[in-house]
Amino acid sequence: MNAILECRELTKSFGGVDAVADLSFSIERGHIHSIIGPNGAGKTTLINLLTGIYTPTKGSILLSDQDTRGLAPYKLARRGLGRTFQNLQVCMNMSAIENVMVGRHLRLNRRFIPSLLRLKSVRTGDRDCRERAAELMRFTGLEKQIDAHPGEMSYGALKRLEIARALAAEPELLFLDEPAAGLNANETHAIGALIREVAERGVTVVLVEHDMRLVMDISDSVLVLNYGRRLAQGTPQSVQNDPEVVSAYLGGA
Amino acid sequence: MGMLKTLRTPRMGLIVVALILAAAPLAFSNPYQYDVAIHVLLNAMVAVGLNLLMGYAGQISLGHAGFFGLGAYVTAVLSANYGWPVYLSMPAALVVVAILAFLVARPILRLSGHYLAMATLGLGILISIVLRTEAGITGGPDGMMAPPLSVGDTPIYDERYWYALIAVLLLITVWLALNLIDSPVGRALRAVHGSEVAAEVVGVHTLGYKVLIFVVSAVLAALAGVLTAHYSGFVTPDLANFIYSIEFVTMVVLGGMASTYGALIGAVILTLLPQFLTGVDELEMMVLGLILMVVVIFMPTGLVPTLGRLMPGGRR
Repeated sequence: MNAILECRELTKSFGGVDAVADLSFSIERGHIHSIIGPNGAGKTTLINLLTGIYTPTKGSILLSDQDTRGLAPYKLARRGLGRTFQNLQVCMNMSAIENVMVGRHLRLNRRFIPSLLRLKSVRTGDRDCRERAAELMRFTGLEKQIDAHPGEMSYGALKRLEIARALAAEPELLFLDEPAAGLNANETHAIGALIREVAERGVTVVLVEHDMRLVMDISDSVLVLNYGRRLAQGTPQSVQNDPEVVSAYLGGA
Repeated sequence: MGMLKTLRTPRMGLIVVALILAAAPLAFSNPYQYDVAIHVLLNAMVAVGLNLLMGYAGQISLGHAGFFGLGAYVTAVLSANYGWPVYLSMPAALVVVAILAFLVARPILRLSGHYLAMATLGLGILISIVLRTEAGITGGPDGMMAPPLSVGDTPIYDERYWYALIAVLLLITVWLALNLIDSPVGRALRAVHGSEVAAEVVGVHTLGYKVLIFVVSAVLAALAGVLTAHYSGFVTPDLANFIYSIEFVTMVVLGGMASTYGALIGAVILTLLPQFLTGVDELEMMVLGLILMVVVIFMPTGLVPTLGRLMPGGRR
């Protein structure tokens, strides 16, 4: 067993409704994993639970065999967790590259007094940080936007910017919340290629996505949710042929 | 316009500010002009701090006059009533305000938007009520005397020395503020403003940073208050008046949120304004309100960023 993430009997209720119910699964280190399911299946709730935005009503989440119960998102980030957002969370009061630089927060000298005096360690750290951020922008296909302001970037570019920011933190486990939402077929294909490259760098990627073609193209394993429960988990082929999955998606009995 | 361009490169801007501060006394011919200039600088100190909180971290405070007044009173009480030397009572006042700000910051800064505005407003009013009613310690509504700052046994009364002292302190404040913003801490603060959840998931302890910058801005307000107490030689509860909290906010909004030089310019304009509207107090408040409305409607980013954008090649 080499699970980077494991959920045991995870439940999250909102006013008596279980958005995620008794969910147990594990995610192997490395590779690309997808979480899919019809609308309202609990995908977003699950990702918010796993990244510490919500606290579980019941059950536990183990990150590299350590319980993450009650840890705030910023503490989970220290344990190697990163994420992007379905509805963009780009800081519009900062330039594009500064958005990526924020991603390196934990890797920099961020003590108050050295920052206040802008000591040499802070200056050199910041210069390196800017270079690394520019590198990541090139990696994510934003080489033309290194000096841009997010306000003048396209929706697709902002999605890539969020990926660059998440990568800047050098996460072990990266959640991508609907990276292809709002993108056209070409852009979706390109983002799929980017996600593959991210995984090749050794990052475990967990994708929550609606675009089935993208999911089936790039995933090594797929977890299917329905009504907050696990419907199936396996390779794209096995999941696609699962009668329960087919009926959940096509609305059969 | 050329000068505004210079202001966009932070270090050059600092030199420009230093030159202006050094050259300004050439235009002063009497102590009254020094007095006005000193009040400009003291307000600028508060505005620079408040801009760190409001402009950069995006957290409003309608209670900073409370910290200003409290700083003034703590140093006055310690030096006048308990005989502390002024050079000790001044830092002690900053420590007291820092501790108070730290204690209230955690619960208050969990709030946001209108709720945060109301909570800080309440805090400021609370401080001003305590200063007014605890007459046994504070002298009540009449206020109390504050001993002068002295070097050796020589008390300093000359406005020119006060101007020099406060100008140097303001310059240091501006330098530190520029440094802080141009550092990982500053980026984290701006990210808290831009998207709190995005900041949080890359490891920024957002509440911690909000508390930090709230305390920093409160201490800068207190520093201005402490200097005011010993410069003017007396303190009254009016120093903590809620109207001044509004004035500080207006300085930041007028000059330009997230612009340290904007905060300076906002402080200059709003402190000099009454000089042109003398004798009509009501008019002053009306003009203050009018400025706030006009700025928010027609140039929501404030003077300095708006002018900066109008220049060729300007964006910020």
